[in-house]
Amino acid sequence: MGVYIPVGPQHPIHPEAILLKLKVEGEQVVDADVDSSFVHRGIEKALEHKTWLQGLYLVERVCGICNVAHSTCYTLNVENLLGVEAPTRAQYLRLVVEELARIHSHMLWLGLLAHLIGFQSLFMLVFRDREKVLDLMEELTGNRITTAYNVVGGVRRDIDPALEHRVRSTLEELRGRVKRYRKLIEEDPSVRARTVNVGILERSEAEELHAVGPVARASGIKYDVRADDPYLVHDEVPFNVVTLETCDAWGRAMVRVEEVLESIDMIMYSLDHIPSGPIRKRVPPVFKVPPGEGIARVEAPRGELFHYAKSDGSERPYRYRMRTPTLANLAALVYMLRRGDRAVYVADVPVIFGSIDPCICCTARVFVLDERGSRVLNLEDLGRSRGR
Amino acid sequence: MRMLRDVLWNLFKGRATVMYPEERGSPPDNFRGRLGFNRDECIGCGLCHRVCPASAIEMENDGRGARPVFHIERCIYCYLCIEVCPTKAIKPGKEYAVVTSRKSDLVVR
Amino acid sequence: MSCLALLFEWLDRKFVAKLQNRVGPKYTGPFGMLQPLADLVKLLSKEDIIPEGTKTFLFNICPVAAVLLLFIANSFVPTVHVEGVLKAEGDLIIILVIITLYLLTIYMAGSAAPSRYSLMGAARAAVMLLGFELPLMFSSLSVGFAAGGFELSKIVAKQFERPFIAGPHLIGFAIFLIAAQAELEKIPFDIPEAETEIVSGWLVELSSWRLAFFRFSKDLELVLLSGLATALYLGGPIGPVIPGLEVLLYPLYFLAKSISVLFLLSLLSTLFARIRLDQFIRLCWRYLIPLTLAYFLAMMWVV
Ligand code: SF4
Ligand code: SF4
Repeated sequence: MGVYIPVGPQHPIHPEAILLKLKVEGEQVVDADVDSSFVHRGIEKALEHKTWLQGLYLVERVCGICNVAHSTCYTLNVENLLGVEAPTRAQYLRLVVEELARIHSHMLWLGLLAHLIGFQSLFMLVFRDREKVLDLMEELTGNRITTAYNVVGGVRRDIDPALEHRVRSTLEELRGRVKRYRKLIEEDPSVRARTVNVGILERSEAEELHAVGPVARASGIKYDVRADDPYLVHDEVPFNVVTLETCDAWGRAMVRVEEVLESIDMIMYSLDHIPSGPIRKRVPPVFKVPPGEGIARVEAPRGELFHYAKSDGSERPYRYRMRTPTLANLAALVYMLRRGDRAVYVADVPVIFGSIDPCICCTARVFVLDERGSRVLNLEDLGRSRGR
Repeated sequence: MRMLRDVLWNLFKGRATVMYPEERGSPPDNFRGRLGFNRDECIGCGLCHRVCPASAIEMENDGRGARPVFHIERCIYCYLCIEVCPTKAIKPGKEYAVVTSRKSDLVVR
Repeated sequence: MSCLALLFEWLDRKFVAKLQNRVGPKYTGPFGMLQPLADLVKLLSKEDIIPEGTKTFLFNICPVAAVLLLFIANSFVPTVHVEGVLKAEGDLIIILVIITLYLLTIYMAGSAAPSRYSLMGAARAAVMLLGFELPLMFSSLSVGFAAGGFELSKIVAKQFERPFIAGPHLIGFAIFLIAAQAELEKIPFDIPEAETEIVSGWLVELSSWRLAFFRFSKDLELVLLSGLATALYLGGPIGPVIPGLEVLLYPLYFLAKSISVLFLLSLLSTLFARIRLDQFIRLCWRYLIPLTLAYFLAMMWVV
């Protein structure tokens, strides 16, 4: 019994191409599969044909919203291989921009959640307020989304006192707004009705499925690359890793909203304590990287982002590999959709899907080889072997 | 019901929408828009051509030597070329609406 | 009446936009007033697509039936005078029956198409009917009992001194508004359309004139329900008049009153997230229906 309902690859649930195959009985989902292989863009291969510096601008375009995370990760990785370290001021500035990006990403997500549960007013208002962050980004880096701010050896633009003042006042204003949204999510009966106890992922399950980012933190796992493996000046800037034990979509929303508030504090603190000095070490535009392998991790808004680079000593990468947070969370998504012990309604699917903050364009590149049967495993098999 | 205050408050507020085609905000000074090029300052070193990540720069011989031609439709506004140019022949610009119906408008020589 | 429908859609869109700090329709006509009309014309000019496996007869008849039904229902609503254009014995009941029939056309149009989304939307619409039908009926019927008859003209005439909303009927008005919101499939209750879940539910396979007709019927329904609320609780088109000017003042009163009802409905739609079908049914049966019945019985008692 039951009918299959395809959600995607073109569906208002998400602008990007992903296919959720739902088996539905009445209003309840009994089985689910995910296929994310619609937008393979071959970026990793393309990187092998770009010089290290050109690659940075390609990496930035892996994902529009997380572009700062990607470029930070890439520059850190290359700097490691080169043996260069960015000046402290540059690291502070990177942190500021990274947190700004986190704010706008989380607010985008909050708006999206509101849209998914049909809360149009919240959607509109959140997006209105998010615009302010984008304006700040534009002033600071030169563009709203694709910032091109980080560069191997430092950052490209300095912040002047006038701009610093504007950043402060805007964020102060934003803090008030975000606190209102927090209260709204906490108390509004219709938001609570749609998110509380929806998309349950227990702590043990989250650990087993290797969930990352806010999804893991909402399940009570205190894991944040910024705290566990500080890659910028995170050891100098105090912040809390927000965790919640609610394990549901509501918790994920709260974690993100709290993180926005944390990010605002971090930016304020960084602006107070930023040392003066150079912002960039000169690295020639075309350079050779000594042979070797390197990895870098950063905490992207959606979770842990991992880059791997292999150099053969030329001016181009020999191999570059990325693992994006959404990929890590997809297994958890499938598990949440088809867990048998709780009713999952069709109306919950957008909420559950949205709650992992999916970003498909950076995800569609995986295939795993089964060595025994030498066949290509897709995510469906992966979810099955892990979730069941 | 928490929303009530916000939405009612909006009744007395102006719109947040920027009525785009009629009303254009001016981008900040730092903005990276369509670039300009001063051919006289160029020494034809070809560095910009080599660094451009989007292959938006073509070198073309105009009698004095190789000079770059910028294809704005391919440009990703990274401004790497501006950074590397030894004579600052490439100029930053603030224009962001580069839509046109003639392709030749998108070529900067 | 058609103009009124389009005007109401425009007002609704504009008002919601204002509440959400947006602009809303702007370019067609003064203040974008003609936008709903432009939308209709555009839809009419679109290619007509009938998916394979559709029950064509139902598919064609439903949009027409929907619009016709609502035209008839609307003619009973008193707008310019104590009586509507049409008048019949017990026309309140006729209107209520038509509202149910209208939902039937939605259900049939949704299930006539082979798409699973539209099937789900249709099923959801039908289930929702179980929830809001009783409140809608009883809240309007109790007004009828209070007025001593089910003719809208009688009900309106009864309110010459004091509209029903001032007094215990306020509860009825609130119940009516909530049920109307569900009937209109506006935001907290837009479950059968639920864009992000089942694309557009029962609307998904409709295109061209069918979609145009259904959209238009939604606007007519907007007029009908706010007009009905006006007639039942706000005293319809009557109000203090300077003798001789009734012809002018009554329509104005009607407009003012029904537009305030419309604004209340729009406001309601900006305040909440869409709730789930099971939650809606629970809401109805646990709170709305007992409340309605209590109110109804109380009214009977008083009468
Ligand atoms: S701005 Fe970047 S993409 Fe554009 S021409 Fe210069 S180097 Fe190429
Ligand atoms: S880098 Fe500057 S000087 Fe060299 S070719 Fe390009 S524009 Fe001319």
